[in-house]
Amino acid sequence: MADQAADFIVIGSGIMGSLVARRLAESGASVLILEAGPRVTRGELVARFRNSPRRSDWMSPYPPSPWAPHPVYKPQDNGYLVQAGPYPYPAEYIRQVGGTTWHWAAHAWRNVPNDFRIKSLYDVGIDWPFSYDELEPFYQQAEELMGVSGAPNTGSPRAKPFPMEPVAEPFAMRRIRERLAGSFDVVSNTTARNSRSYDGRPPCCGNNSCQPICPIDAQYHGGIAAASAEAAGAKLLPDANVFRLEHDTAGRIVAAHYFDPDKGAHRVTGGTFIVAANGIESPRLMLLSASDKYPAGLANSSDMMGRNLMDHPSTSLTFDAEDALWLGRGPQSPSSINTMRDGTFRPDHAPYRLDFTNISRVDNATRALISAGIYGPEFEKRLRQTAAHEMNVKTVLEVLPHPDRRVTLSDQKDAMGLRKPQVHYAIDDYTRRGSASGKRDFQRIADLMGGTNLRFSKDGDYANNQHICGTMSMGNDPRTSVCDGYGRAHDHENLFFASTGVLPTSGTCNSTENGVAVALRSVHHILGAVAPVAARNAVSL
Amino acid sequence: MRIQALLILVALLAPPLSPARAADDAEVKRGGYLAIASDCTACHTAPGGQPMAGGLRMASPLGTIVSTNISPSQEHGIGRYSFAQFDRAVRHGIRGDGARLYPAMPYTAYAKLTDQDMLALYAYFMTAVRPVETSPEHTRLPFPFNMRLSMAGWNILFLDSGTFVSDPKHTSEWNRGAYLVQGAAHCGSCHTPRGFLMQEKSGQPMAGSALGGWFAPNITSDAISGIGGWSVEELTTYLRTGHAPGKAQAAGPMAEAIDASLRHMNEADLRAIAVYLKSVAPVRNSADSRPAFAWGTAGDDLPSIRGVGLPGNLDEMTGPQLYDAHCASCHQSQGQGSFDGALPSLFHNAALGRSRADNLVMVILNGLRRHPDVNMPAFGHALSDIQLATLSNYLTSKWGNPQTQITAKEIGTLRAGGAPSPLLLLARGGMLLIAILLIVALVWWQYRRLSKRQPQAIDPAHTPGE
Repeated sequence: MADQAADFIVIGSGIMGSLVARRLAESGASVLILEAGPRVTRGELVARFRNSPRRSDWMSPYPPSPWAPHPVYKPQDNGYLVQAGPYPYPAEYIRQVGGTTWHWAAHAWRNVPNDFRIKSLYDVGIDWPFSYDELEPFYQQAEELMGVSGAPNTGSPRAKPFPMEPVAEPFAMRRIRERLAGSFDVVSNTTARNSRSYDGRPPCCGNNSCQPICPIDAQYHGGIAAASAEAAGAKLLPDANVFRLEHDTAGRIVAAHYFDPDKGAHRVTGGTFIVAANGIESPRLMLLSASDKYPAGLANSSDMMGRNLMDHPSTSLTFDAEDALWLGRGPQSPSSINTMRDGTFRPDHAPYRLDFTNISRVDNATRALISAGIYGPEFEKRLRQTAAHEMNVKTVLEVLPHPDRRVTLSDQKDAMGLRKPQVHYAIDDYTRRGSASGKRDFQRIADLMGGTNLRFSKDGDYANNQHICGTMSMGNDPRTSVCDGYGRAHDHENLFFASTGVLPTSGTCNSTENGVAVALRSVHHILGAVAPVAARNAVSL
Repeated sequence: MRIQALLILVALLAPPLSPARAADDAEVKRGGYLAIASDCTACHTAPGGQPMAGGLRMASPLGTIVSTNISPSQEHGIGRYSFAQFDRAVRHGIRGDGARLYPAMPYTAYAKLTDQDMLALYAYFMTAVRPVETSPEHTRLPFPFNMRLSMAGWNILFLDSGTFVSDPKHTSEWNRGAYLVQGAAHCGSCHTPRGFLMQEKSGQPMAGSALGGWFAPNITSDAISGIGGWSVEELTTYLRTGHAPGKAQAAGPMAEAIDASLRHMNEADLRAIAVYLKSVAPVRNSADSRPAFAWGTAGDDLPSIRGVGLPGNLDEMTGPQLYDAHCASCHQSQGQGSFDGALPSLFHNAALGRSRADNLVMVILNGLRRHPDVNMPAFGHALSDIQLATLSNYLTSKWGNPQTQITAKEIGTLRAGGAPSPLLLLARGGMLLIAILLIVALVWWQYRRLSKRQPQAIDPAHTPGE
């Protein structure tokens, strides 16, 4: 096949790659998106979810494709993401058109302003290369694209209102808010979920299956972003698994090489390359692209490529509330406590959010009762009790960047013969002390809710929240960071990253909106700086 | 009548009426209400555009018609229209410059408006509508319809220019309803079948008609095919909200008519419309065996597909699998909809009970949007023609009229905007015939002229000076 070419080659069709591609295409540039995985429709995902015997396994509707696998852990670990320890980092992500936000809780948070300078303020972590104020307009853009709503008082100031009002508060969340009033402020989360028709998509009608799939597109996801990129004129090539970027003698990227599902190799040339293949696959691609000139991989003269892997680990408390709350009506994750996201404690321990789940208890309770051998009338009674009263609150903790937590290449290879990604991870004392503070909050919350049957997560156990960030960290110093504040690789003039991987710190909020806002800021820069140069060059030819 | 005639005389004699004409507030207000009842904005305001500035592109079977600016702009709109010109346009289909309007403008219905209401409408447009200083693109229909003069002949055939006359045998409510239905609300523009030349068939008012993929249903008083089984209250509710529980919900052009026009009308007028419609002569469509809303009961086939994998070729998905994937999240496992009826049930739902699946398919393809926040998403991008045929046939079999089936090919036609009018072909054919006749005539005339030079061929009947 002859080489394809475009002004911009975007690698990855997830929410960030697709929105970047959309903006570039809207400017009139030619844009080609290369997506490793297949094109999948919402209908088949919904059908697979409804038909799954593992309804609480949110990856069950997303089986990995042989030619572009992603990690799954149930019914057993497919071994794709190799764990080097000491603490596991069992990230879940999806390689298909639209990427991982096909299943998410649609949390679309802004950082709080102090998250951008924790080194200066608290002498922990590092500062971002820009301030909250500089990112604010792009947060707004992201929120208008995704259709975000939420409470106004979560610590992130805004110049303009949310594009819509919050989704109606479920009864369970109302009762929790009322019973905790005076001790904790429970507010509605900022989420990319419609409270009314927005952008042609309907409002949430409470299917309570946000994860693994919103069956009606009331919540935004990368599939919608990819469709909007195509509508804007971007060309999207699925089943195109990029395994190497090629550079010239000056270090400019000149081509992307990909395998089709039959391992036929293809080459695509372009003017500017934007890698948007998430915080694990993007560094993997950079490391796989090592050459004689760049033996440690591309964009890696700092040796920072793949390092500083972060997430938001969670500890939790499950208990039976005094009130019948009947979790499961409305969205899965509607409300949280945001008062511990910043403060003078930050030199000592991790900040965190406290998040209340609203996931129906029926599936898990049923399995627990059956596995405990409980049947008949007792089963019905116990199921009813649990479904009505059980509730859960979890911490969403900050992790600081550390070079030893990292993504590398494994010696094992995938079905395409490409080295698998390998993760090295640990939970440090900063985060552990944060979780200890969170545990004290758990106890107070349970007391205020009249809780019984308290079940704390095991000390030292931290659940992964799939918020992969830090691995291609932005910074002003090329010796300590991978790319500049616009996501441009320090080492390669025409290589950009659009990914949560560029976020220098994790803060306490789900990373998607931060990633999207930073990516939109990058596009704004690219259109202001790169595109006019390209246009001049075109004229001079 | 004499006062009206006098008013018209005054209007005709006066210089082109300026906005300063002595129209009182009440008259302007009444004109505004009539403009809403006439749904002027539906066609003359483009989505997101300035009110009455035109520019809406309307697909017609003959090509795209673009609505004009009817704001009182002197240059771009109707600001210079005298009342007489305004009246000729609205009731007779003749533009200010004398050119003919296409009957996409429902002047055959507006012809029923009384003189008094025309004056009110005029007063409203000239004083209460903000002038918009832009011109939309021009309508360019294919030959021969780009010859607007052709409409003159059409008007001779089909324009009944008499205004509405009350029928003393009926109540004033009935008469009000008849006036609105036949006039301002121009219900027949969509609901009356159109004949060979796109004229409304005078013998079958409100008997139902296809319309750009949609089918405007039979709304005669027939108990099976029409709205005979609806109560006046149900009809009134439907006209106000677009939803009559257990009967039907408005979609497509009817949803637009309700949003822009009907829901703004007063309850008495909506009721009058309902009362009149209940008296329109019944027309039975032979294919119909029971009312469209009277089909189906709750039930589901979902247990039968649990544990069965999806086919490798998704075009082979079964009806229940497609329902599970696309519909059940809102319409629920048994097709029962939501507890409060906001998400309608699929049984006892006219969309699934008609003898043709057009509207069901059009709603699935294009979705449904209605005030205040009714939004069924469009599935046109998510379903292939084959999948949609499977799904539609499953829906009608399961919860609607099981006789109503549709093929993937027919769905392809609906996806493309409905069947094109045979009129274009016919008219072009007709033109060809006329051209051939003209050529024959010319040849004959030439022959005669040539023959004339020969003495033996002199025709004494021939007029000189030819």
